[in-house]
Amino acid sequence: MISGTLIDLVPFEDEYALYLQEWMNSEAWLRARWWERREPHTEQHIKKFIEEIEKNDHAKLVGIQAQNGDPIGGVAWEHQWVRMRKTNLWFFAGDPRYEGTDELLDGLLMAVHYNFATRNLHRLDTYALAFDEAKIAHLQRAGFTHEGTLRQHVRWAGDYVDVLAFGILEGDWPGYEPKVRELGLQASDIPPKPKPEKPQTDEADAD
Amino acid sequence: MLEGLLVDLVPYDKRFREREPQWENSEATFWGSMGEWRIITKAEIERRRQRRQEASRHFSGVHFGIQTKAGKPIGTFGINWLLAHHRLAMLGAIIYEADYWGGGYGTDALLLIVDYAFDWLDLRKIWLSTMSLNARVLRQMEKVGFTMEARHKEAVFARGAWHDEVVYGLLREEWPGREAMVQKLGLRAKPPKA
Repeated sequence: MISGTLIDLVPFEDEYALYLQEWMNSEAWLRARWWERREPHTEQHIKKFIEEIEKNDHAKLVGIQAQNGDPIGGVAWEHQWVRMRKTNLWFFAGDPRYEGTDELLDGLLMAVHYNFATRNLHRLDTYALAFDEAKIAHLQRAGFTHEGTLRQHVRWAGDYVDVLAFGILEGDWPGYEPKVRELGLQASDIPPKPKPEKPQTDEADAD
Repeated sequence: MLEGLLVDLVPYDKRFREREPQWENSEATFWGSMGEWRIITKAEIERRRQRRQEASRHFSGVHFGIQTKAGKPIGTFGINWLLAHHRLAMLGAIIYEADYWGGGYGTDALLLIVDYAFDWLDLRKIWLSTMSLNARVLRQMEKVGFTMEARHKEAVFARGAWHDEVVYGLLREEWPGREAMVQKLGLRAKPPKA
């Protein structure tokens, strides 16, 4: 676990794996992974997704956890290009109450910081659908530069929509603490939600 | 097979694969793979081919060989990442034989693949990216009517320095058709090189 100001970054397991079926079928997931086809994700899809990302040395999916212990969503990096020291970052609010909040922004800041200060990357790429104002605001507040617009790139609800391309370089990142001071992050005081029921364990398996 | 004026796009068969060890270890790879100078064995090339075949289960691309009108293999052109649900595809190409750089061979192949993407695969948009160092491709993109849509700062490391990655896109309604583009560019068939 790595602690930020309003959130912690935690391993994507236990409760997160339980929530993922709901999250992977949500609008927020599809906005984060806009290149995917809209289709139902079953338990098998989800298990396979987690397995594939876990066995990929250049990819990671991390949980974003509120200070009250609630899972907020996730942040991930994939498609790392070692020679270029860059990767593609995406993040989402699984719990829609956290959409656009400083908690989710803090998760993004922590992921940026982790990739520059610990993983020694030079550059992070990310994208946002043109209508995803909350995500665009988060990226701009975090210090990402809008580097262009991929015109009519994605089919979405009967129309073709633009995708905004963003990037941030290690040299443009002031560091986590200065960035947090600059932004003055505010907790949104969202109340805890009831814990999900864990699936029944088969007694034979338990033995 | 797709027939052009200077080149044809054909199945990427044994005649192409046999040339890969020489091609992959040449300067052409530097230009076609964002500045990577490869030192690669035949065995590594074969393993990479197998990995790509496995990955192709997830990415339904299309892969052509480029040959001259005399039948000489000179490179490859492909749709590397096709998203049918978005009617969107990313292109990738390399002319490996340096004697065929700058003579319209790559442009002829590009016009064929654009027509193929729009008229046969019914795509709506195609796109590709290159490094800002690759002036030849930047000129080609502008010439053929692609729009520069994004410029990723310092996204490519080549020749000991950072360069930008430049992304180009072309929408179907912006494409006048291959014949019109051939006329505009003044592309003509020419006698085969000795």
